[in-house]
Amino acid sequence: MKPILRVRDLEKVFWVNKRRQGILGSALSLVAPQMEKVTAVSQVNFSLEPGEMVGYLGPNGAGKSTTIKILTGLLVPSGGEVEASGFVPWKQRQAYVAHIGAVFGQRTTLWWDLPVIDSFELLQAMYSIPAERFRRNLREFTEMLEMERFINTPVRSLSLGQRMRADLCAALLHEPPLVFLDEPTIGLDVVAKERIRQFIQKIHQERGTTIILTTHDLSDVEKLCSRVLILDQGQLLYDGSLSALSQRFDGRRLLAVTLANPAEQITLEGVEIVSRDGPRVTFSLDGHTHDPAALIQTLLARYPVTDLEVRRPELEVTIRRIYEEKLLQPAGQA
Amino acid sequence: MRFFWEVVRRAFRQETTYRLAMWAGLATNLFFGLVRAALLTALLPAGAAVNGMDAAASVTYVALTQAMIAFLRIFGMTDVSKSVYSGQVAMDLLKPTHLYTLWMGRELGKAGFNLWGRGVIFMALFALFHPLVFPGSLGQAGWFLVSLGLSWLVSFSWNFLVNLAAFWTPDARGVARMGFLISGVLSGFYMPLQLMPEWFTRLCYWTPFPSLINTPVEIYLGIVPAGELGVRLGLQLVWFLVLAAASQAVVRLGIRKLVIQGG
Repeated sequence: MKPILRVRDLEKVFWVNKRRQGILGSALSLVAPQMEKVTAVSQVNFSLEPGEMVGYLGPNGAGKSTTIKILTGLLVPSGGEVEASGFVPWKQRQAYVAHIGAVFGQRTTLWWDLPVIDSFELLQAMYSIPAERFRRNLREFTEMLEMERFINTPVRSLSLGQRMRADLCAALLHEPPLVFLDEPTIGLDVVAKERIRQFIQKIHQERGTTIILTTHDLSDVEKLCSRVLILDQGQLLYDGSLSALSQRFDGRRLLAVTLANPAEQITLEGVEIVSRDGPRVTFSLDGHTHDPAALIQTLLARYPVTDLEVRRPELEVTIRRIYEEKLLQPAGQA
Repeated sequence: MRFFWEVVRRAFRQETTYRLAMWAGLATNLFFGLVRAALLTALLPAGAAVNGMDAAASVTYVALTQAMIAFLRIFGMTDVSKSVYSGQVAMDLLKPTHLYTLWMGRELGKAGFNLWGRGVIFMALFALFHPLVFPGSLGQAGWFLVSLGLSWLVSFSWNFLVNLAAFWTPDARGVARMGFLISGVLSGFYMPLQLMPEWFTRLCYWTPFPSLINTPVEIYLGIVPAGELGVRLGLQLVWFLVLAAASQAVVRLGIRKLVIQGG
């Protein structure tokens, strides 16, 4: 199948004024500014098949937003090629944006002082959505996002969760095949997050919408995306499945045991004890070198145990290690 | 096209949310209108008419220009540059429309509200303090309305163009203030161009500014020299087209330079 989005050697460079130190330096900068080149995105390559949903991850300042802005036609890149739904976003912006949907969690496209429904009806006129299709989509989305209660409320009186749901609906009314979601769950509580996730999942599955999801909330990604792209310092570090990622970087398992006899001394060959709290002992073991099942059998044969639990490290911890310990190298330099 | 009028309707309704602001603005316009009227009548020699403007015409001139402040946003409009700085412009650029058309719809809705609230109501209130002159004929009134419509188009395009400086400077307020100071003087807002030296007036007509205010007001007062009506209206239309075309070109350049802030 032909990719719906193809990104090749994408690069974006900003020139920023570099300040010199001190008053004399500032005075000098006024007449002879020193420009410094900042590379926000460099050598980014990937492509998406129609119907894929990918998580786009990276720490703050990694270049995620810059990439999304280029892909939505808001920014002109310094180099590279992008083809999205058959368009070059920044060259044919006006025609292109009719074929995409975008939600920027920090902003709203709704009219602040008017009821939510007013913004939706304006979008119908703006995208020339046929009346029948508009009504059907609106009915469906209103139900899925539980918007009946506030669809006639002015946007300024909505809670953040309600506003975000309305913004999601606004971005999808024209049934775009390609959708960019930039932090759609930012600042929301657990319930609101879950509702939005379910909606995204449903749209993805039922309509085959291709979705790029940028987020700092890894539970979003864990629940929604099978494929992730990890960006750091403007370079793509990883492009692959989430499960392969955690297996590769965190084969560690935590084994927590509660002993029947709190005073008992306990050891397992080659396995480190990370904590001991009375009868409760926690081991850390490497899933690649140890077989957790065999270890548990040995343990149970030797000691009377009342409770036992095996945990894998949270994705959050894995990703943090990747950022902090620079576990991944840019594809080109590995 | 339907989309454009939908934007206009919403902008009008959005504006009605701020009724208190409208009344406050109206009171301010009225106060300064009375001050300006007092000043202008004091400057005019008693019973004299300068270039066809007598005391009643001068007071009407003041009333009309005050009534046009909110409608034409004579004291400046910075909404577009603010949206560039806040990054909200991104939401507009994600829509399959021209930035110029979108803003024109928003501004037209607002202007419609202000034409009524701070234009017509203002004139009615002002008439309680000073006798006002009315257009001599229905035709004259009609041409005044045409000219007023054109002056709105010129004004919007000028405001929009000035705001586009935001794409290049991190704070366009200076540019805007400069632009609106110039337009205030050259449009005949502060002083009727009729009362200015002829060389100055002629200079003004090389700029778009008399098309903002002076032209509709002179048509209203019936002091446009015979045979010049068509020329004046034509000039307004030309300036609108020039400024609109310039806006389109500058927007295109600006978007290439654009860095959406934040997020």
